[in-house]
Amino acid sequence: MPQLGETVSEGTLTIWHKSVGDEVTANEVLFEIGTDKVEMEVPAPTSGVLKEIRVDAGETVGVGTILAVIDDGSAPAAAETPAAKVAPAAAPAQPQRQSAPSRDKSLKLSPVVRKLLAENNLQPGQITGTGRDGRIKRGDVLAFLKGTPAAPAARPTPASSGDGRTVVPFNRRRQMTAEHMVRSKATSAHVLQAVEVDFSNVDAARKRAGSKWKAKEGFSLSYLPFIAKAVCDAIAEFPKINAHVEGENLVAFDAVNLAIAVDLDFEGLVAPVVRDAGSMAVVDLARAINDIAARARRDALGPDDFQGATYTISNNGTFGTLITAPIINQPQVAILSTDAVIKKPVAVVVDGTDAVAVRPVGVLAQSFDHRAIDGAYSAAFLRRLKDIIETREWAAAVP
Amino acid sequence: MAKKAKSKAPAKSGKGRGAARLNDDIGEEKRLEMFQMQLEVRLLENRANDLFLQNLVKGTIHLSVGMEAVAAGCGAAMRKNDYTFCTYRGHAHTMVRGAPMTGVLGELMGRECGLLNGKGGSMHLTSVEHGAMGSYAIIGAHLPIAVGAAWSAQYRGSGQVSVCFFGDGATNIGAFHEALNMAAIWKLPVVFVCENNLYMEYTPIADVIPVEHPAADRASAYGMDQILVDGNDPDAVFRVARDAIEMARAGDGPSIIEAKTYRHLGHSRADPGTYRPPEEIEEWKKRDPIPMYRKRLLDYGVTEKTVSGIEDAVMKALDEATEEAKASPVPALELGHTEVWADGGSAWRN
Amino acid sequence: MAELTYREAVAAAIAQEMRRDENVVFLGEDVADAGGVFKTTVGLLDEFGPLRVRDTPISEQAIVGAAMGAAMTGLRPIAEIMFSDFFAVCWDIITNQIAKSRYMTNGQVALPLVIRTANGGGVRFGAQHSQSLENWAMMVPGLKVVAPSTPADIKGLLAAAIRDPDPVIFFEQKSLYGNKGEVPEGEHVDELGIAKIVRPGDDVTILALAAMVPRALEAAEILAAEDGIGANVIDVRSLVPLDTKTILAEVSRTGRVVTVEENPRLCGWGAELSSIISEECFYDLDMPIVRITTPHVPLPAADDLEDHAIPSVSRIVETIRREVD
Repeated sequence: MPQLGETVSEGTLTIWHKSVGDEVTANEVLFEIGTDKVEMEVPAPTSGVLKEIRVDAGETVGVGTILAVIDDGSAPAAAETPAAKVAPAAAPAQPQRQSAPSRDKSLKLSPVVRKLLAENNLQPGQITGTGRDGRIKRGDVLAFLKGTPAAPAARPTPASSGDGRTVVPFNRRRQMTAEHMVRSKATSAHVLQAVEVDFSNVDAARKRAGSKWKAKEGFSLSYLPFIAKAVCDAIAEFPKINAHVEGENLVAFDAVNLAIAVDLDFEGLVAPVVRDAGSMAVVDLARAINDIAARARRDALGPDDFQGATYTISNNGTFGTLITAPIINQPQVAILSTDAVIKKPVAVVVDGTDAVAVRPVGVLAQSFDHRAIDGAYSAAFLRRLKDIIETREWAAAVP
Repeated sequence: MAKKAKSKAPAKSGKGRGAARLNDDIGEEKRLEMFQMQLEVRLLENRANDLFLQNLVKGTIHLSVGMEAVAAGCGAAMRKNDYTFCTYRGHAHTMVRGAPMTGVLGELMGRECGLLNGKGGSMHLTSVEHGAMGSYAIIGAHLPIAVGAAWSAQYRGSGQVSVCFFGDGATNIGAFHEALNMAAIWKLPVVFVCENNLYMEYTPIADVIPVEHPAADRASAYGMDQILVDGNDPDAVFRVARDAIEMARAGDGPSIIEAKTYRHLGHSRADPGTYRPPEEIEEWKKRDPIPMYRKRLLDYGVTEKTVSGIEDAVMKALDEATEEAKASPVPALELGHTEVWADGGSAWRN
Repeated sequence: MAELTYREAVAAAIAQEMRRDENVVFLGEDVADAGGVFKTTVGLLDEFGPLRVRDTPISEQAIVGAAMGAAMTGLRPIAEIMFSDFFAVCWDIITNQIAKSRYMTNGQVALPLVIRTANGGGVRFGAQHSQSLENWAMMVPGLKVVAPSTPADIKGLLAAAIRDPDPVIFFEQKSLYGNKGEVPEGEHVDELGIAKIVRPGDDVTILALAAMVPRALEAAEILAAEDGIGANVIDVRSLVPLDTKTILAEVSRTGRVVTVEENPRLCGWGAELSSIISEECFYDLDMPIVRITTPHVPLPAADDLEDHAIPSVSRIVETIRREVD
């Protein structure tokens, strides 16, 4: 399993393109992995025979785990996939980040806060900062200490306490997410609407782009840029979707600043923004989305990356889910979840006759704020979105 | 501490002219006192020079070699409870008030037995119990301070007088003028004594004053008389000092005396004094006050035995003081933190 | 309790001590006949006569020099330097002589004297008559330094200074001379080296001195009413000796400290306190130490320019609002 980002500690092997016993050519796509919203194709490092598959599709393993063995006809110690090279420091299956409070300058810990954290064996991540820019103040630590029942709960290491319970305290990002999610639910009148979309045309484009794209761009072309493009085009016809609720006003925006929710390998969500996504072509969107996702994973996002989002896409499909009811990213009016695209039997009409065909199908589900939008408007938008995705000649949009 | 050498009871020496001169308004006892005072200063300062060469005296020292007659003449004219203030060239003025040799040498060598326990050094010799109210290293600063002591004496009606020694160079600094003016307008019992040795540090005083006499010719600006005296004649100095001190004590106000003299050595230990013409130095050395006074004493009928007895006693006392001072330890480090405040400590916080 | 103005309290203190001890004498320019250019010593000549209350020529060196000589020889003199700016004229006597003589003579010399002066700006006198120079005195070993903010403290601390066996430089803030305040009746003697918590609070400690104390108090009221910030205002009162116990305890307790100084930006008394606090209270600080000072320029004369330079109530409020998190 390759190290896809500094903060990534594991990945999911999604698709094997080869089976055991198959001939493998160097640089030919061997398998796909997903660590978050972005899927990645991994080429074979050498030519030979795929002798052994150790990790099946759908499995999630730690970085550095050997996934397969290729017999390239050389010495018995067969060349392993580059993915099998031992990954650096990150301990597998260790979801909590253990950073010494004194080293992380971005946290702006004052001397008294550091002292209190050290004295009480706390990590800054456990404390909600109520100071400016989320700074942890002395009072925040004191409040935490007052609210904490017993010392064991304060320990950052999520070791099993031996009584059948494993306590994982909320880190700061978790706290902030928790706060945002609850507040969003309390603020917006969430309604979920979904459409089932046939991604055949998109798939055609992806296949066309194929490994050439991957080789040139360094990442593979997933469904997301296509969906994002379609969203922007649909928004052009349904501008109230691309809006904020401000007080008792709906404030619609001309430009689509698309927030893409990025999961930081189970450590929390961030939603950096692709600005003016509506002016970008699919290929540019692909690059932009890849860029912010990559930067998110290596913690290289700046404050500008979070400014001014008008609509959010949350890509949950990597994990194979059917449908997700996403929580609106305040103060936006709506959010779209994209779930797994899998081959399904669908009813088609062939030569005037009903038939069943196997098509790549996925659910797009939009949560909208019923304070500002009604079901009909949202549904119409979704219908348009589905239409664009299903009928556009996407292959023409990719090289 | 080594005792001061005591001169023997004055014999009514001789008859005739010598006796008449000897037993005049000054008298034999006073003269022997002044001789001994000068001698103590001269021998100690020569000793200090030797100790400097042995690296036992540190920093620098400003010596009065050749100028002793002024301090002696004034010192002899004062009462024990009068006040003196002098400059950083103040060994002589401090010693003539009775400060012990061990304390002076000890201070120069930075020892515990020093007058200031090693904390002030050569330039700040003080012995309040003897009325020696400090040696001051900022030119002219002590003149207003001496005026303050005189004010205090006047206010208390104690009859004390403040005698303030300074050099020709000090007559140009602001504090000199402020002090003379205040002393004059308040009619304070202070006697200003200018030791004009013709040179400030390296510059001749004549180059920097518009009048002939740096002190005496400024007197009239402050309503005081011009008083000039040969600073190498202790008797002459004594007489003018006595008159000025009595005038002050009587409440008739301040005086300023200019005593012309000459230092045999440089401004400080480091100064070879090469800015002075050799002929001039030679001329003045011929008028070395101590040999001159010794001769006068003998002329006036004091016996050789008496005079050399004093010389021997002073040398003996000096040698004892030297050994005592050498044997004294360096001050304890804690002393560095004491006596900033009256409670003996130096704390600025709680 | 009597109500006195800040300036009346000066004369009251001197009179109290002169009545008590005949060795207390007083000299300065225009202090006797005229009762002081700021009318701080009115009535003293009448009560104590021209031998004890003396007008001097314009001779700052002679004034403080004479005070030193008198102090060395049994008196307890009070010398006035009309404007603290004039300290520069006699700084040698104060710092080289008065501050050092006791130490250099290892205790032979006693100097129970007080030099009192009119300090500070806000009255449009221009750069050479408006400086706050308590920081100059603070940094010289051998001088005690006091700067009261109220009439009661003037009386009590001046009396304490006069009784103190060491040299005390007593800074009266000229912009406060007209302020009225309650002063205890009868003999009133305070103590050097004690800071006072003049407005308790839990959120941020404000260290202020002299004319900045009333401004800090006013700012504290606004911050409480409008921002819910509880300011803990401390009148430092005595720079040497310094009440570090109180100051450090209050800083530790509140975790935040702001100084309000009429000194220029560099090397004001607040800079020294900041340094002490950062060294000894570091682990109790919840935010960086903030200093509110006059900018590092000579003080301008025009109304608005001077008011803009000296820390105002609104600047104190705005700074605390901005910096206190």
